[in-house]
Amino acid sequence: MTRLYNDPADFREELIEGFVAAYGRLVQRVPNASGVMVRAPQPDKVAVIIGGGSGHYPAFCGYVGPGLATAAVMGNIFSAPSAEQVYRVTKAVAGAAGVLYSYGNYSGDVLNFDMAQMRCEDEGMDVRTVLVTDDVASAPRGQEEERRGIAGDFYVFKLAGASAARGDNLDEVERLALKTNARTRSFGVAFAGCTLPGQRAPLFTVDAGQMELGLGVHGEPGISTGEMRPAREVADLLLDTLLADVPEGAGSRVAVMLNGLGSTKYEELFVLYKDVHRRLLAEGLELHDPIVNEMVTSLDMAGCSLSLLWLDDELAPLLDAPCTTPAYTIG
Amino acid sequence: MTRMESTTNAQQVVRLWLANALALVGEHEEELGRLDAAAGDGDHGTTMVRGLRAANAAVTDAKGSAGELLAQAGAAFSDAAGGASGALVGMWITTIGQRLGDGPYDLPALLEAVQAGTNRVARLGKAQPGDKTVLDALTPFLAALEAQAAAGASLGDGWRAALPAAEQGAAATREMVARRGRSAKLGERSLGHADPGAVSMCYLLRAAADAFDRAGDE
Repeated sequence: MTRLYNDPADFREELIEGFVAAYGRLVQRVPNASGVMVRAPQPDKVAVIIGGGSGHYPAFCGYVGPGLATAAVMGNIFSAPSAEQVYRVTKAVAGAAGVLYSYGNYSGDVLNFDMAQMRCEDEGMDVRTVLVTDDVASAPRGQEEERRGIAGDFYVFKLAGASAARGDNLDEVERLALKTNARTRSFGVAFAGCTLPGQRAPLFTVDAGQMELGLGVHGEPGISTGEMRPAREVADLLLDTLLADVPEGAGSRVAVMLNGLGSTKYEELFVLYKDVHRRLLAEGLELHDPIVNEMVTSLDMAGCSLSLLWLDDELAPLLDAPCTTPAYTIG
Repeated sequence: MTRMESTTNAQQVVRLWLANALALVGEHEEELGRLDAAAGDGDHGTTMVRGLRAANAAVTDAKGSAGELLAQAGAAFSDAAGGASGALVGMWITTIGQRLGDGPYDLPALLEAVQAGTNRVARLGKAQPGDKTVLDALTPFLAALEAQAAAGASLGDGWRAALPAAEQGAAATREMVARRGRSAKLGERSLGHADPGAVSMCYLLRAAADAFDRAGDE
């Protein structure tokens, strides 16, 4: 249930205002646009612009700051931002080094970002797009480009942002973002749906005592519905799926992220993570800086997702590179 | 009316259309939300109202031809509505405005403009008739409108005569499984509910028929 709001129609605007008021030391409002940007954009570096519907905090505005995203375009709850807003945010931060758009693969986002990209290209800007497609539940192997983007957003944004921050050119930032996406896999499980501001009923429901495997962050269907099980079996379910979908040339070093979807508590996540960790070690994998946190949420949805980023010598330093954002800081 | 003879009259029709559309969609906001909740996030009614409010505001004091007013209304609609439907419906309105330009504003010209707008929606949305989208209302509407134009119907009469084809097309989406957009990921869950985008398009088309009638009366 979303309880705190005034007029639901003003929800996005008010959340942006409050967010910028709280984190003004790190971010600023993009003038005349639904978005936030770093306080001091650097025109000689590639601008990494992320975005999508609101309702997924820390995605997307929580990842704006030095070392990560340059700006985030924010749509209404679960609704893509308009092409006009993407364009305005791009104009506010784009410099000579060009722009990378990165966001989850949803048709509304693709449509609006693509229209903005065409407009910017017509004006002579160099803009590239890397879609995040990490959710293995949304399309089978062999159709990876059809998959939707969920918590893996974070890894793609982080590595693209780190690449841009160290001064890589646009070709290189794009290549590394594509590579990160190609090596990221996520799978989630949901226990209860979420309710939009002003709505009395949840957007979708999960029957009591059941869990939905692979349910999307807006209620899109997943793979199957099953009986609720003990945490250790849920850990195995998640890992069985992810370990059956290991990208080519994966190696044995993985970054692991257990992400809470909104109303599954940290304590529960740690209980689950204990078995995730143990199993990954038992598989002979080397674990790189696990994250157990809320990284990409879905309002007050109950559930979690597990993401693996298969690292190599090129990607690991980008994951470790310093960044300072409202939701995620290293170094 | 046979055609919008004067430029002032055409601008008046655009303003009337947008005002009628806002009233009609506003009346059905909850219905559209319910249809959308079946396989989407339930905000289609709210989104359309938000877009139409902005479109109305954009033309209130705007200067220019009817075509220019429509182009501005479409841009304002897209920006305020957001999401996929905001982008597509706004693009449809803008394209119609660009095609109509300074006129003439008769049935053959409007047919050509709506066809161009619809083609653009199909290309951007990568959809075809049968995919359970707005095209399932627009495609039969255009076929009926073409027949009216070929028979030499007046603008107001021809447009109104083509409306049932759009409404039957929208109703037929109940039996379709979504293949585009976020609801496509919901596959079978969309079965049994009409596509909200096709239904709201019928309201836009009907609002235009009423605008032609009223402008003709004045």
